[in-house]
Amino acid sequence: MTRLGDLSRCFQGVVPCVVVTSDARGVPNVTYVSQVYLVDEEHVALSCQFFNKTRRNLDENPRAFVEVMEPLTLQTWRLRLRFLRSEKSGPLFDKMALRIEAIASHTGMAGVFKLIAADVFHVESFEKNEGFLVDGPPDAGEQISVDGLRSEVRGLQYVSEQINRAECLEALLEAVLDALDKYFGFEHTMVLLPEDNGTRLVTMASRGYGESGVGAEVAMGEGLIGTVAREKRLLRISGLDSEMRYGRTIRRESGSVAPEVPLPGLPDAQSALVIPLAISGRLIGVIAAEDRDPLRFGEWHEAYLEIIANQIALGIDRMFEREHDDDVVAVTQSSAPAAGGSSARRTVTYYKNDDCVFIDGEYLIRNVPGRILWKLLRDWDREGRTEFSNRELRLDPSLGLPAIKDNLESRLILLRRRLDEKCPELRLVPTARGRFALQVEGRVELVER
Amino acid sequence: MARGLRRCPTDSGVSMFVGTVSPSGVPAGCRAIGAVSGDELATLTVYVPMATSHEVLANIAATRRLAVVATYPPDHSTVQVKGTTTGVRLAADAEEAIVRERLESFADSLDVIGIPRRVTRAINHWPVFAIDLKIEEIFEQTPGPKAGTPIR
Repeated sequence: MTRLGDLSRCFQGVVPCVVVTSDARGVPNVTYVSQVYLVDEEHVALSCQFFNKTRRNLDENPRAFVEVMEPLTLQTWRLRLRFLRSEKSGPLFDKMALRIEAIASHTGMAGVFKLIAADVFHVESFEKNEGFLVDGPPDAGEQISVDGLRSEVRGLQYVSEQINRAECLEALLEAVLDALDKYFGFEHTMVLLPEDNGTRLVTMASRGYGESGVGAEVAMGEGLIGTVAREKRLLRISGLDSEMRYGRTIRRESGSVAPEVPLPGLPDAQSALVIPLAISGRLIGVIAAEDRDPLRFGEWHEAYLEIIANQIALGIDRMFEREHDDDVVAVTQSSAPAAGGSSARRTVTYYKNDDCVFIDGEYLIRNVPGRILWKLLRDWDREGRTEFSNRELRLDPSLGLPAIKDNLESRLILLRRRLDEKCPELRLVPTARGRFALQVEGRVELVER
Repeated sequence: MARGLRRCPTDSGVSMFVGTVSPSGVPAGCRAIGAVSGDELATLTVYVPMATSHEVLANIAATRRLAVVATYPPDHSTVQVKGTTTGVRLAADAEEAIVRERLESFADSLDVIGIPRRVTRAINHWPVFAIDLKIEEIFEQTPGPKAGTPIR
């Protein structure tokens, strides 16, 4: 016997669903909705974003008919519903609102395109729409969840081991992304950590994006990642393209001119899973995974990744604490090849008004990591210094590091990686515990503006 | 296309659904394959597959009330018409070409959003019933604050 949960792909928002209601006079109304939410085996919910005809009809006649579609085969299922209540707060409302807010923020509709209520229905019956397809649906393949179940425990064990084993933040982040790839098959992932007193997030590690991922920024509350960071709640979106088109339609209809926030990763992502890393309500970071398969991320991923996210958050936080306690080595061996020859000439420009550093006119880094680089280069230029310690950076008031939880290690990782990508003639190389060297190849001209 | 409409039920490439309600107030619906109108939407003939429309037909036999929604999947532009059924008949062989063309154009528009044509072509689309409808109301139904605004 088919359970409602067996139709989970129908409830992922890849294909819009249809809702039929009726007013008290018996006049039917049909509307497309972007998604029907599966609450449990006996309940579903619809998002109420506008006080529309469907909503008014339900107050007059609580019966509703919904048709959902399996996105891989187009097989449809019919649900007979009875309206129970509108929820304007609580876990279900929060979960549905997060998704809508994230899409709204991404499409420049924050505050306009929002959830008014989660309308909850009892599923009185449901049945397959027999005869809808000529030969019945082809096998849509069930191996995704089976694979997941098989590897989930190993994945948890692996992540725990790697977190405990990691000697520095960089190794920990790499291990996390490696585990997500190895045990969950997530090929496009990134870890972002908060910067600037939590006003923005900066990509500290990425996988599957080539070299361009590290350093990419997202403002707090903006787009999918920024919304998850602000709300500190996990977000899984299937059929991202469909959701975005829906959001863009409402944006067009509302006459909004707010710009769309570009996705930080794959330009053609079809699904996304964004996981907050938080401890007792304090945001530690965000892990984002994307895929071109609209159904890549399943329900089981949410449950297990929330457990893993707790461990990762604790691991990162421990790393920051430890860093402060004993000034652990903050930079690891650079992975970039040594610069070829010494003939290269680079111009490093520091814009003091906004703490931005450019290399040969191309943006490199800003804020605290930018100030750190400028201090290192100035000391090297004026005094010929090449050896530095984490402790002296912490004590230098011009860098503006906070007294506690300064995230120095993550800032040095970001700086080193950006240099590896954009200016391999400048390298930060560890020399001893809590110490590192600035290596300069070729000629470097410093300009302050 | 009828005046003032951005989207029309007779357009190629639209996804269509018809909604009805039983005399005791239980709604039901089914997908439609296409629709034609020869008089700027004063009337409409909508085609529903025989295989999936028996509940819809039972309801309109009793109530004659019908709502038809058409949406273009790539941009969600949507229109809804409501009216009274004036007749139901098995579609004639001469109407098969228009039904096939509508399914094919629907497959084209789903292909734009990533659903392969071969999947859409598996939708059962013949034989169909032709439901003749006298249109009484037309509504803008594109998602957004203007959804539900009467056009006619």
